[in-house]
Amino acid sequence: MGRVIVVTSGKGGVGKTTSTANLGTALALLGKTVVIVDADVGLRNLDIVMGLESRIVYTSMDVIDKHCELSKALVRDRRVDGLTLLAASQKNNKDDIQPAQMKAICDKLRSTHDFVLVDSPAGIERGFSNASAGADEAIVVTTPDVSAIRDADRIIGLIQHARIEPINLVINRFSPELVGNGSMMDQADVMDILNIDLLGIVPEDTGVITSTNRGIPLVYEETSAAAHAYMRIARRLTGQQIPIPDLEQKGLFTSILNWFTRKS
Amino acid sequence: MANSIVALRAYRDGLHLIIKPHLSITEIEKAIQEEISRMNRPLNGASIQIDLKAPALQEEDMAYLRSKLKDTYNLTVREFMVVSEEPTPPPIAAAPTTHIITPAVNPPNSRESEPSRIIPYTIRSGQTEDFPQGSLIIYGDVNSGAEVRAGGDIVVLGALRGNAHAGMNGRLSSVIIAMNLVPMQLQISNYLNRIAIGEKSRGYPEIARIGKEDVIIVERFVKF
Ligand SMILES: Nc1ncnc2c1ncn2[C@@H]1O[C@H](COP(=O)(O)OP(=O)(O)OP(=O)(O)O)[C@@H](O)[C@H]1O
Ligand SMILES: [Mg+2]
Repeated sequence: MGRVIVVTSGKGGVGKTTSTANLGTALALLGKTVVIVDADVGLRNLDIVMGLESRIVYTSMDVIDKHCELSKALVRDRRVDGLTLLAASQKNNKDDIQPAQMKAICDKLRSTHDFVLVDSPAGIERGFSNASAGADEAIVVTTPDVSAIRDADRIIGLIQHARIEPINLVINRFSPELVGNGSMMDQADVMDILNIDLLGIVPEDTGVITSTNRGIPLVYEETSAAAHAYMRIARRLTGQQIPIPDLEQKGLFTSILNWFTRKS
Repeated sequence: MANSIVALRAYRDGLHLIIKPHLSITEIEKAIQEEISRMNRPLNGASIQIDLKAPALQEEDMAYLRSKLKDTYNLTVREFMVVSEEPTPPPIAAAPTTHIITPAVNPPNSRESEPSRIIPYTIRSGQTEDFPQGSLIIYGDVNSGAEVRAGGDIVVLGALRGNAHAGMNGRLSSVIIAMNLVPMQLQISNYLNRIAIGEKSRGYPEIARIGKEDVIIVERFVKF
């Protein structure tokens, strides 16, 4: 039986889709069978980030409406074994799907895959209840700023209420330089407020934008800092004990380095 | 009231400076200076309403006070109001109006006979805990965007980052204690704290209560 994990956040635009695409790909690269499910009905973009946009024929809506079999709606990613995508309908909106229908889909997918990653829309409304309906676990993505954290806290409360456990945190767009000069919250501050387990920290990385535009998840190119972070997070998800590197230390180091270079 | 001529009070709608009638402007000025120097936290930048017990001040005296408060204390006067007697604070949204008891009929301190409720988890943004029957003890944090209200005291064995309202039935002796007191807003009975307490932890537990000056004061918590 596979694990159904919802990737969610309170605030929008913090990196749920980026995280789902990269973690899904990374898990497949590690030899797992993975299906990534776009639950952002009406605002789908997981297919774009994955570069699979042109190959979508059926969506989860077609499965629910019995226009096709679930297996037929899964788009296989040809770059890596064991990775498929279930797209969301762009024509419909969130109220066209019931939580029970999403749960039924997730339950089916779980029996044939190691991991079912569900990319949730932002917010606390229907979209979230649909995305989380079939989940056993949750990954909450936040950026280290006050408003994203407040909203992450809100969504964690709702996930706990829905009795989904464990809830793991991914801090995205972390910038050691900004923490170093005091203009960004550090890891300890974030953990102090949210008080759930930390799954990993993904640094701010311009490579994310280019990879999004090209439709090639970053983890294919091991060179980028964010790719490394996502690979490590995927390993942690499979149960490997990988320490979380102290990005802050590096920040301090870089700022000292900067200071020296400025002096000279 | 600590100062018989003027008193500074925090109400739901902000700070009020209450001025007794039949005073010369120099007397008022001196009393304001005393009252403000009594505060343990600067009021810098706050806006206040001036409640005048009848009769009203002269037009030029009001203008003088307005500029004096601005120049000396950086306080902005919202408006001058003539009130007939002790102004009753506007109803508090958090508690039904019938629950508001004015200080004169304040119930005796009933901390001993009150029940208390323990909340064994963190209260997160968007969540609320209400316990009008007595005191709340929280084994966790109260995060910003969360709200706790109690008839008696509120004790947070963690960080208080959200809103807390102790003494919601009017008990003025109610207190709010937190290991890390960095709230958005504190309210005790019908006194509302409007002065930012600061968002950085001071590294020791603190207690908020209504002080002699009739405003919420915050100090290091040593013992009850
Ligand atoms: N680590 C990162 N470094 C730099 N840019 C990033 C990073 N993560 C995400 N981004 C950028 O942030 C934007 C939003 O990311 P993404 O679409 O993954 O967020 P989302 O949470 O899915 O948004 P929505 O709530 O709209 O679904 C994208 O333009 C993406 O390229
Ligand atoms: Mg998205």
